[in-house]
Amino acid sequence: MFEKDLYQLIRGLRAHKGNEREYIQKALTECQREIKSQDMDQKGSALLKLVYLEMFGHDMSWAAFNVLEVMSSSKYLQKRVGYLAAVQSYRPDTDVLMLAENLLKKDLTSADKLIISLALGTIPHVINPPMANSLLTDLLPRLSHSHAAIRKKTIVTLYRLALVYPETLRPAWPKIKERLQDENEDPSVTAAIVNVVCELGWRRPQDFLPLAPRLFELLTAGTNNWMGIKIIKLFSALIPHEPRLIKKLLPPLTALIKSTPAMSLLYECINGIIQGGVLESVQGTTEGDEVARLCVDKLRGMLVLEGDPNLRYVALIAFAKITDSYTDLISANSDVILECIDDADISIRTRALDLATGMVNSMNLQAVVERLLRQLKTAGTASELDDPSNDRATHSAIVPMADDDEDGMQANLRRREQKSNQPPPLPTDFRQLVIERILEMCSKDMYGNMNDFEWYVGVLVDLVRQCPSGAQEGHESSLGQSVSSAIGAELLNVAIRVKAVRAEAAAAAQSLLMTERREYLFPPAGTGGNGVLFAAAFIAGEYAELLPDPAAVLTSLLHTSSGQLPAFSLTSYVQAIPKVLSVLTSDQQSPWTASRKTHTMLFTARIIHFLEPLTLHPNLDVQELAVEYLDLMRLASEASSNQPTEEDHVDYPEPPLLLTQAIPSLFIGMELNPVARSALRNVPPPEEMDLDIPLNSNLQMVLQKAEYEYELDDGDDEVYRLYHERSTINGKAFGAKPAADSLEPPGQGQSRSSSYQAEDLDEEAIERKKAERRERYRDDPFYIDSERNSGVNTPMHNILRDTNGGELDVDAIPVMQLKLDSSEMHSDVEKRKPKARPVSKPKKRFEIVSDETLGVEEARASPITSSSPAKSSALSRAKKNLLEVDSSGLSSLSLSDTGAVGPGASQHDFERRQAEEEEMAKAMKEVERLRLEMQRAQERIQPHNAPEEGMVVKRKKKKKKPKVEQPGDEEAAIATAAIAGIGTNEDENSPAGVKKKKMMMKRKSKASTGTSEKLDEDGKHWETEVPSKPKRKKKRSVALEDDG
Amino acid sequence: MINAVLVFNNNGQPRLTKFYTQLDTAVQQRLLTEIFALVSTRPNSACNFLPLPPLLANNAASKSASSQSDAPSLVTYRHYATLYFILISTSTESPLALLDLIQVFVEALDRLFENVCELDLIFNFETLHAVLGEMIVGGVVVETGLEKVVEGVRAQGRVAKRPVNESRGGAGIWAGR
Repeated sequence: MFEKDLYQLIRGLRAHKGNEREYIQKALTECQREIKSQDMDQKGSALLKLVYLEMFGHDMSWAAFNVLEVMSSSKYLQKRVGYLAAVQSYRPDTDVLMLAENLLKKDLTSADKLIISLALGTIPHVINPPMANSLLTDLLPRLSHSHAAIRKKTIVTLYRLALVYPETLRPAWPKIKERLQDENEDPSVTAAIVNVVCELGWRRPQDFLPLAPRLFELLTAGTNNWMGIKIIKLFSALIPHEPRLIKKLLPPLTALIKSTPAMSLLYECINGIIQGGVLESVQGTTEGDEVARLCVDKLRGMLVLEGDPNLRYVALIAFAKITDSYTDLISANSDVILECIDDADISIRTRALDLATGMVNSMNLQAVVERLLRQLKTAGTASELDDPSNDRATHSAIVPMADDDEDGMQANLRRREQKSNQPPPLPTDFRQLVIERILEMCSKDMYGNMNDFEWYVGVLVDLVRQCPSGAQEGHESSLGQSVSSAIGAELLNVAIRVKAVRAEAAAAAQSLLMTERREYLFPPAGTGGNGVLFAAAFIAGEYAELLPDPAAVLTSLLHTSSGQLPAFSLTSYVQAIPKVLSVLTSDQQSPWTASRKTHTMLFTARIIHFLEPLTLHPNLDVQELAVEYLDLMRLASEASSNQPTEEDHVDYPEPPLLLTQAIPSLFIGMELNPVARSALRNVPPPEEMDLDIPLNSNLQMVLQKAEYEYELDDGDDEVYRLYHERSTINGKAFGAKPAADSLEPPGQGQSRSSSYQAEDLDEEAIERKKAERRERYRDDPFYIDSERNSGVNTPMHNILRDTNGGELDVDAIPVMQLKLDSSEMHSDVEKRKPKARPVSKPKKRFEIVSDETLGVEEARASPITSSSPAKSSALSRAKKNLLEVDSSGLSSLSLSDTGAVGPGASQHDFERRQAEEEEMAKAMKEVERLRLEMQRAQERIQPHNAPEEGMVVKRKKKKKKPKVEQPGDEEAAIATAAIAGIGTNEDENSPAGVKKKKMMMKRKSKASTGTSEKLDEDGKHWETEVPSKPKRKKKRSVALEDDG
Repeated sequence: MINAVLVFNNNGQPRLTKFYTQLDTAVQQRLLTEIFALVSTRPNSACNFLPLPPLLANNAASKSASSQSDAPSLVTYRHYATLYFILISTSTESPLALLDLIQVFVEALDRLFENVCELDLIFNFETLHAVLGEMIVGGVVVETGLEKVVEGVRAQGRVAKRPVNESRGGAGIWAGR
């Protein structure tokens, strides 16, 4: 096979349309061979091909060493390829980096500015902390190189050094500053310095304040817009640390805003004013108002300017930054901002959406939301194929393709291609974002902006239909479901908090649950809206009495398709079913007619039919609920079939007590109120609680006893008494809660407790007893010995009774302790949540129930909140963004105290380093001399048959072995071996000399490349032997392979 | 600072990749595909700023609190004929200035190749790197002047035009091999 250069590779690629993969594999194998060639030209061209293929994702890390070989070539063009390969392929963990260091040092001191440039351009890509330290000495002198190009690249390289090893900035900074202050410096160097200072500036702005006068001078000189932009960026970071700058900066900035022809500079002026917080600090003064108006006018101009979407985009970003401080100015421009919500460009829309979220108030909320809704409704859904994440992202890798469009490839780049201007259909994630934002806008400040909850409930139902489909495998729970369950949560929130629209919420839940509407609400394109069903079913169950048509809801809940729902929704369904049933059948007033009986029997039969298969559901929650309710339903069915109707000639046909009393009492309890997220945390743990001791040491006995009791059950049931007692306490404690108060009309609390009474009076009812007994039996494993814990622990029984009473438990546990300070708590809550109180609205008044929480919140929550930002920042520190260059090390490095204690010490450090380097150089020379002598000695020994490389190595090893046994490390052994080899002359070599060498050897990596090259000139076969380090051994083995 | 410079064509074929942070080749490719997916669906009328691709957006949310950080927050692109030029940068760069920077880059290429087209860049990708090296070092812009960039590249040696027989019809010749 002929050798190919890059041209031929690319041509070949273009010719092998269809089987590029194969061709590339072949090319890679060739490269692997060619790169080991002794011919530097061939090596270089193979490397260039590898670099080209690396661009397409073909890893070339295996060639790291060959890259180094080409880098050290003496020909510039080959060197350039080598350096390019290093930039593209070296990673921080590439081990030949240690060897590259010396080469870089050498090339940095080259006389050729092109070679210096290569090294300067490469160092930022390969630098690591140890290298940074040693390269610094060679970089610093380049700052005064005669060529401006070298100077500016050096400055940037020094910055990158400082990023990996901040200490290097200390010696470098005074010199960089000197360059910046130098008026005669080349303007492009000054610009580069400004760029670097801008990068450094935001980490430690206070250190750069002394530069302000010079920067100001540069800004007002106004020679370079690029630099102007950077200076303004830097100033915006400095202003918070030096308020006097504002006064100084405002005139030139306003002048620039008014006069500059460069849009980018104009924008950055405004942005700088905003970002630097100038507006906030001059707010109120006439000057300040003028500036603010000027900025906003210009931004508005950018928004309305036809044909430049970029300006619109950046203007929106700038607007977003002043939403908090200049709400009125933003609102004045809400017309143009809202226009952008409908912009064809998704990027602009997203920005406008962000802005709109911050901008809404009670006046414009409805308009904004309506607008967004309309957008969702009218825009086409991105089809599955259009969705980029569906096809592109699943691409395994980029394969270089033969290009089919020759004409296109030759199209002049200066001409912009015309594409269709059709707005793309809304992508899924944008849809999701819009819905999230709508929810956020509406619920902000505990519905502070909401005027009309009926409207809101309607919006929520509309949104369900707009949920993006998350139907693809694997995405189901993450995408559509999450946003639709957020809608569900909102619906639930409204239903619970706003009593006035509870009926509407229940109706909405009904409309969501109806199977007839499923086609409409959840279009076949996806099941994205399904997440809302959990909340809908919960609302339907909890507020079943408010449902417009409970029978229809029950039918929908029992629909066969419901069984296929995700377990999460299904649990809610199963819970809701008996609740709705109890509303349908519990009527105590009307007589037990035959038709009623038939209806009831029908309902229970259908429920049983629905639940039976669910007892085998893979999800344990579903299974447990199904089993529980199935038994209950069987009982109910039995009870209703046995209950005599009027046909059986009973005087007054009473409905079965199980239906009218027992089942409703399971579900009718205290109203569920919103509980603050932190409330549970604030429940004081009971003092006597010790989680380490078993709850009951003789559980077995208890179980047996329970079994016994079950058999012997009599009317005097301890559990009932316990339950009775607890319920009254609960009622009281609950009534004391402020939010609960505001929720409940005076009558209801009473009626509830009376129902508890009634329940107890009816204890002797046989069916009821049976039911209770069954339930208790089920509870048994959890049943806690009443003698020990009856007052404190919540029996499982209670939980069962308030079926969904998870939240109730929070109140129930600490009831005893909290009773006392409940009045304080009341006022406390009032004080803390002023917003939660109904805000006076022009049209309607809605009571919005705020979260219930416990009085201790303040004390306990504060440490938690204060610790959480720290935690999150620690987290974000740990998770580094992909492309991020971490500059956090710089923030701890102070530059301001030049000449003071800190730098003094490091200066010293730096000098010491330099001294060390010199010593090193001396030692190197010494070794060099010894080596030469060694070589001469060797030549004397074997003058005739110069051995081939492999043999030399072997011989060397033999020599080494006996010496290794000597005390001292390997290097010492080798050093002495070397000395011995040279002959008696060197025998007198003092131990000090050996020591020196040892030290020198430790610097092996640095020295190795250089020395090996030098030796090359003297005799090639020595190359592999001289360095005695492990690294060198590696090289040796490579060389041997080459030969073999 | 600038975190990465990418050039690819309308089919997503890379023509230049330069990352100022060391990344695994596989991750580079993934980022490239993600950005291409974003950029290729945009109409011409759209603005030149992309939302962050998923790979970069992961933890951007937590960072957005502070106005400035080391995390890349800006993806700027320009579309010229068959090629997309992409810059990924942090918030210390000015979005509008970056657009101008791409323009300077393309103009410099145009000056060097005379009516530059994609083929020139394919066959001279070393020169492409050289031009970039004159403008950006280690993620920091060092030169924005067109003349100086061109001068700097020319100083490194003659810039080759694309092979003559690679033009129209040339493909036929090579296809025969």
